[in-house]
Amino acid sequence: MDRRDFVKVCAGGTALALANWDSLVLAGGFEAFPAAKLTNKIGIPLKATEIPTGEALVFSYPVAGVPCFLINLGKKTTKPKPGLRGESDEYNWAGGVGPHGQFVAYVGICTHQLSYPTQEVSFLRYAVDGSSVADAPNRIVCCAHSSVFDPVEGGRPVGGPATFPLLPVRLAYDPVSDEISADGIIGMEFIKRFMKTYKRDLIAKYGPGGYLQPVEGKAIAMPLSQYSEVVPAC
Amino acid sequence: MNEQFDRRNFLKMSGAMLAAGTAGCATGITGSAVAGTSAAVMTGIKAPIPKAKGPRLVVVGAGTSGMTIAAHAKKNYPNFDVVVIDKRDMYSSCFNSNLWYVGIINMEFLADHSFLDAAVNNKYTFLNATVTGLDRASRTLVTSEGEVNYDFLVLAPGISYDYDKIGVKDVETMTALRQMYPGGFISPMEHVTLKRKIQEFEGGVFVQSVPGGNYRCLPGPYERACLMASWIKKNKLKGKVVILDANPEVTIKKQGFHAAFDELYKGIIEYKPGMAITGVDVEKKTIKTEFDSVQFDDASIYANVRGNTLIEQLGLMAPSTKSGQKEADVDVRFYNYIGDPHVYVTGDSRPHPYSKSANTSNTEGQFVAKVLAARAQGKEIAWESPETVCYSMTNAFPPEAIKVDAKYTYDPVKDAITGFSPDTKTWEVRDQAMGRAYLEWAQGIYRDMFG
Repeated sequence: MDRRDFVKVCAGGTALALANWDSLVLAGGFEAFPAAKLTNKIGIPLKATEIPTGEALVFSYPVAGVPCFLINLGKKTTKPKPGLRGESDEYNWAGGVGPHGQFVAYVGICTHQLSYPTQEVSFLRYAVDGSSVADAPNRIVCCAHSSVFDPVEGGRPVGGPATFPLLPVRLAYDPVSDEISADGIIGMEFIKRFMKTYKRDLIAKYGPGGYLQPVEGKAIAMPLSQYSEVVPAC
Repeated sequence: MNEQFDRRNFLKMSGAMLAAGTAGCATGITGSAVAGTSAAVMTGIKAPIPKAKGPRLVVVGAGTSGMTIAAHAKKNYPNFDVVVIDKRDMYSSCFNSNLWYVGIINMEFLADHSFLDAAVNNKYTFLNATVTGLDRASRTLVTSEGEVNYDFLVLAPGISYDYDKIGVKDVETMTALRQMYPGGFISPMEHVTLKRKIQEFEGGVFVQSVPGGNYRCLPGPYERACLMASWIKKNKLKGKVVILDANPEVTIKKQGFHAAFDELYKGIIEYKPGMAITGVDVEKKTIKTEFDSVQFDDASIYANVRGNTLIEQLGLMAPSTKSGQKEADVDVRFYNYIGDPHVYVTGDSRPHPYSKSANTSNTEGQFVAKVLAARAQGKEIAWESPETVCYSMTNAFPPEAIKVDAKYTYDPVKDAITGFSPDTKTWEVRDQAMGRAYLEWAQGIYRDMFG
């Protein structure tokens, strides 16, 4: 099975078989996946101007079991960040999208020891006003081991034990409709490790294979405080 | 809430470690045999494992340190052929075990982690065997299942108790204490016994002792006392926990623990500092200290700790001038046995004044994996400090925790670890958010070791 076949499979809405992932992973750079427009809970596309700045919105991409954070950095401006060192490769981060690059997205899985938001709790959060762990505003913090990431700079680690950036999700912004889509991701090897580590939990939540269902066309994005019942501040 | 750590605490603690250690170490090295060889009987029979396909790294001890090094070795140097050896055939976590006693977590949380899965996930071989000897000249480790040759050997066997230092020198009393009043900081069996004791407690005096020196899990005994007091309070028992502390003050997170003692457990926890145990009368249920004696109904008597007896048996113990706790004689920064770049000792048998705790061993293990990968390729890397992120649950109902996050400083002139790094932080106001993060902290380390 080659990559084109994979895209076709996704387009057809068939569940992605984990067994085939080995042959799908490409080294370095963004992996393109079918685009998914970010919507509210009832499927209406979000308008960028209405996306809040106070917390991250969570959406699944490129498959159901992978939570991602959409962040509106407000007045913060992003610029491309070349030469970020990921777990297996170096890559360039293109910066955020939107009128001044204020919209960024990352896979919501801590690259240190894989904490991620569940329905019950999220130890990973965007701390817009800073925190006792972050020491600065606009950082993503993981309360489990105090890793801190900078979403303005491609999600690079700036504190705590994490050594790799959060995985970036590629976004596309349409200025005419003021809508945002996700269409790519970096770090499928890491995602594969996450799936393997949490397979039991993911099956319990999504059913066998359910966590591998491609997300395409639309992806519901909801505030982290609604996605997880408890979001400890640290 | 977020306070600078008191550096004086570290110095006090280190001073206490050295003093306590040296005093009890008059016998010096007793277990070492001829240079490079322990008292092993070489048989020539090889252990039943596949032939090495690259430089062989043998890791002894499948605890936090050994499992972390094994998990990270091939990630840093794919050519490594890694073998992990442990005498246990089932894992059960020592860190977090206090939480199990009062039902905050279940046994699965501690023990649902497979050595076999870890080996497959991280592409190494697991050998269930007991180490019986070492011949460093021929780089041969002798085990109950046969001999294993190595290019690099990591010994991470953890700690042993040193009952000598609490005035218990006869083997009868020592055995009675081990079996009847275990410290609960080494084996899962101790945890099982302690859980029964705590849940069967109907009243009276329960003594939790705290040893001097650099003991495993500095906040552990205080945390256990808090959780037990929480249990007593919830079940309205007419009992109390007496903390007999050999140290002059709570050794870590003292504000957070004192707040719990005063605000939550007044009349339930009695904190007695400066009470080093000098003997125990098991029959009479009496603990002797220098100026006093304490009667107990039940107890967890935590003796001082020392480097695992395996280190002494293999002839790798440091002289008492370097370690007062019979720990290994290793390079301060890179952990190789002095004079032997093929043998390393890590985790709680190291002589460093690091906190003997899971997060320390986990981060140290990640660094040692890099050291080994570099040295296997003829390179050296710069020293990195381990990190001690350590939660303590001071309340069980509801679970509320406090926390410390510390690194360490290295002094190249003294070639020694001299204190906590300036960016060390403590969070000593207990809260439920940290109570929840505590569990995820542990799960993260399990994922790192087994995933």
